[in-house]
Amino acid sequence: MISCQDFITELGNLLDDDVASEIREQLEAHLAHCNTCQVVYDSTRKTLRIVTESGSFEYPEPIAEPLVSKVMDRIRSSCEPENPVRK
Amino acid sequence: MGFLPEVDDALTADSLTTLKRNFGLAPRLYRAQLLRPDLLDAQVRLLDRLLFNKGALSRVQKEFILLAVSAENNNSYFPALHCQTLQFLGVKPEQSQRVAVDHREANLSEPDVVLLDFARKLASSAHSFTDLDVEALRKSDFNDEQILEAVLMVGLAQLLNCIQFGLGIEPDFKPRINLPAKEVNPPVVSERQIPEPELADDFVSDDPDFEIVARVQNGDADAFEELVRKHGRRVYRSLLGILGKPDEAEDALQDAFLKAFQHLSNFERRSRFSTWLVRIAINTGLQRVRSRKEFDSLDEDDEKFRPRNIQPWSDTPEEFYSREELRRLVEREVMKLPAKYRVALMLRDLEELSTEEAAAALGLGVPGLKARVLRGRLMLRESMVQYFSKAGAGKS
Repeated sequence: MISCQDFITELGNLLDDDVASEIREQLEAHLAHCNTCQVVYDSTRKTLRIVTESGSFEYPEPIAEPLVSKVMDRIRSSCEPENPVRK
Repeated sequence: MGFLPEVDDALTADSLTTLKRNFGLAPRLYRAQLLRPDLLDAQVRLLDRLLFNKGALSRVQKEFILLAVSAENNNSYFPALHCQTLQFLGVKPEQSQRVAVDHREANLSEPDVVLLDFARKLASSAHSFTDLDVEALRKSDFNDEQILEAVLMVGLAQLLNCIQFGLGIEPDFKPRINLPAKEVNPPVVSERQIPEPELADDFVSDDPDFEIVARVQNGDADAFEELVRKHGRRVYRSLLGILGKPDEAEDALQDAFLKAFQHLSNFERRSRFSTWLVRIAINTGLQRVRSRKEFDSLDEDDEKFRPRNIQPWSDTPEEFYSREELRRLVEREVMKLPAKYRVALMLRDLEELSTEEAAAALGLGVPGLKARVLRGRLMLRESMVQYFSKAGAGKS
């Protein structure tokens, strides 16, 4: 029977669905009788869902065009040998 | 599971012990053959004699042959199994993956490259196999006993591949390698007879940016604008996650695109342009973070992290917040994480890079990257309890 610390160590792989079937069986057996790990697993899984679906750190549309222009200005000036680009 | 029903408890104790000792588990391939334990025992004895017992070739060389031939066959079951086994034998997963995709780019010794050339050709073009191929191994100092073992290993790989395809066995491990389309890794013989000097032999053929990149590489700098528009969002998001400040992310975005433009002549299409670009962006962001000395504890071993807040969450705790509230809340809490955990978590869970890609981008091994991602996830969970537990839902 695995310990809670063993379960936490394998939690990342379990969340990524990257565990061999025999290990998964052991983890699920642990979950069946350990309420603490059940809560940690459930809430971490939901945390991941919330993070991935939150649309966080998106590109702010109003600054998109000026940024494209800035990038292209720097690129065009880097193509001119007499006017090397400065970072 | 497979095309035939499984029968439990028929595997003899000896076979089970042999398989577990050498693979760490009894692979599904063998569990699926329990209808005939006598034939299974015979296969396990063959494996024991050919693969597990000490022979003229090293165990790693034998595993490389099994891996390369399975990859040559576009088999998805065995590459995962052999990469795992090679990891037990001390070979880094990145190197095994390179052997599967193209052994010539896997930093192998010259004799091992010749050995895998031999194995792939025998597996894919046996009809054109001649004594010259055997001679090539002799020239690389392989003796006849080793050559015999190499031929038998190719035969073993073909047998195992055929059994897996025929029985429809699903992988024991999640496949970590996306094998490229067949033409990416052509049989050795066709490579020699029909040279294609314009294309690298591990050229990525399905890159949607191929045409634009080619135009820019041919001198049309304006065409790069399309790439900036198309990938700006992803680059910005990576950088904002790493740097945390919109104005710094904007500056770094400009630097990253400029670097990509200036180095585009070196881009050899071994990956998609977008993957290559994101790596440049991540490196640009990391350089800035490092200069802030936030990464001081980069190489410290992590102490064990114990979740403290054990309050149950409701089924859909996000429904208590608007989309905009959720976005802000996630950004705020992610940015509170220490940089090394935040960046690892960002790359895996927001940029959705594979574990291997994220590890490579951060210069970490896979176990190190996994440890940081898990720590980041657990810390984030801890800080989210106040908003999403049954007791705290709706508070922001």
